[in-house]
Parts: sequence; structure tokens; C-alpha cells
Amino acid sequence: MTDFDKLIPLLVMGEVHFILVGGAAATAHGSARLTQDLDIVYQRDRENVARLTRVLASLNPYLRGAPLGLPFVWSEETIWAGLNFTLTTSLGSLDLLGEITGGGSYEDLLTDAVTLTLFGVECLCLSLPKLIQVKRAAGRPRDLEAIAELQALLEERK
Amino acid sequence: MARTILPPTADPVIEAYKKDIDRTLLRENLKLSIQQRFENLMQLQRFAQELRSAGQLKKKKP
Repeated sequence: MTDFDKLIPLLVMGEVHFILVGGAAATAHGSARLTQDLDIVYQRDRENVARLTRVLASLNPYLRGAPLGLPFVWSEETIWAGLNFTLTTSLGSLDLLGEITGGGSYEDLLTDAVTLTLFGVECLCLSLPKLIQVKRAAGRPRDLEAIAELQALLEERK
Repeated sequence: MARTILPPTADPVIEAYKKDIDRTLLRENLKLSIQQRFENLMQLQRFAQELRSAGQLKKKKP
């Protein structure tokens, strides 16, 4: 289980620049589907990577599904050496994405982000039309039902 | 500010899936605040975890 009510405020209060995407963004827009993790696209610049590293350090981040005992060190160097990370933390599963298919980087997505207020903080979330667009671009068969639901939500909002 | 994205062209596969979407659940969700939607999600996660634990316990018992 992921403690969205703790994880999102922690990132915001730590001044991490990120955009909610994936299942959590779908939930924000009204999806009824169960999602297990928090997916975020993080800004990949020197200052933000430093903030992200600092904020998550206390949550014991580790590669999700990897055997215990790997020489994984949570550090700025680790983030710069990779791009996307699927992590398990003491507050739940967290996917850190430097880029997403069909959407690009944090900077690319900013114009398609909306501001949400939840758990006492404001954070950015991918807009519903853009969320549909990136899920379609990903082209994963398992997303078909999710895309159908998101399109239904778009129709219901009109 | 979100820019306008043109609606996607209708995909027959997506349209087929759309027929089975329970829109009553979506309409109920849209009445909630965003925070309430996340609170419901966390409740659902807890319930799913309970079910998984119960299933594992059942498997262990002869």
C-alpha cells in the first residue's frame, strides 16, 4: 500500500518539482481503478535531483522487486546514472520517471499540467486529455481498459 | 495552464472497452473532492491487502 497522504506532502514540502502521472493522476481525475503506486515525472536538473535525493533518503528507497543485498546506493549519482526508477519506500511504491513515452520530460509536460490541492499542499498533475494521450502512446495492451475509462471520464465531465 | 489537446480519433478497440465501463462509479467519484478520491483509493488498497493476506493464510493451512 502507498501512503499518498504522506508521500505527496513530503515531496511538496521538500520543494521537489514533479508532476503526478499514471494511476494516481487517473485517480485525481476520477478513475475508479485500483493503483498501487505513485508515479511522478521529476524535473531532472541539478537542484531538483539534490532535493529529491534528500527528501527520499529517509524513506529507505530500494529497487522494487530486486533481491535484497544489491549494492544499490540512493544518491544523486545514482539518479544521474539512470532515468526511471521503480522504488519501494517506507511509504509505499514510488516510480520516479525522468521521461514518459508520448510526453517527454517534466519541462515538456508542464504546459499540460494542472494544479491540484490535496492533503494540504498544491501539486501538479497531468491533465486528463494529456494522460489519455500518453497512455495511448505507451501502446500497452493492459492500458486499454484504463484508456477507455479515462475517455469515459472526459465525456462525463462535459 | 493546461493547453487544449485535440480529442483522439475514435479507436474501435477503446470504444469496445468503453461499453463495459461502469459510469455510475465514475459519476460518484466526480462528486468527490480530489482528496476524497485518494482516501478511497487508500481504503481500497488496504482492503486488497487484507484479501491478499487472507488468501495467503488460507493457502498455508492444510
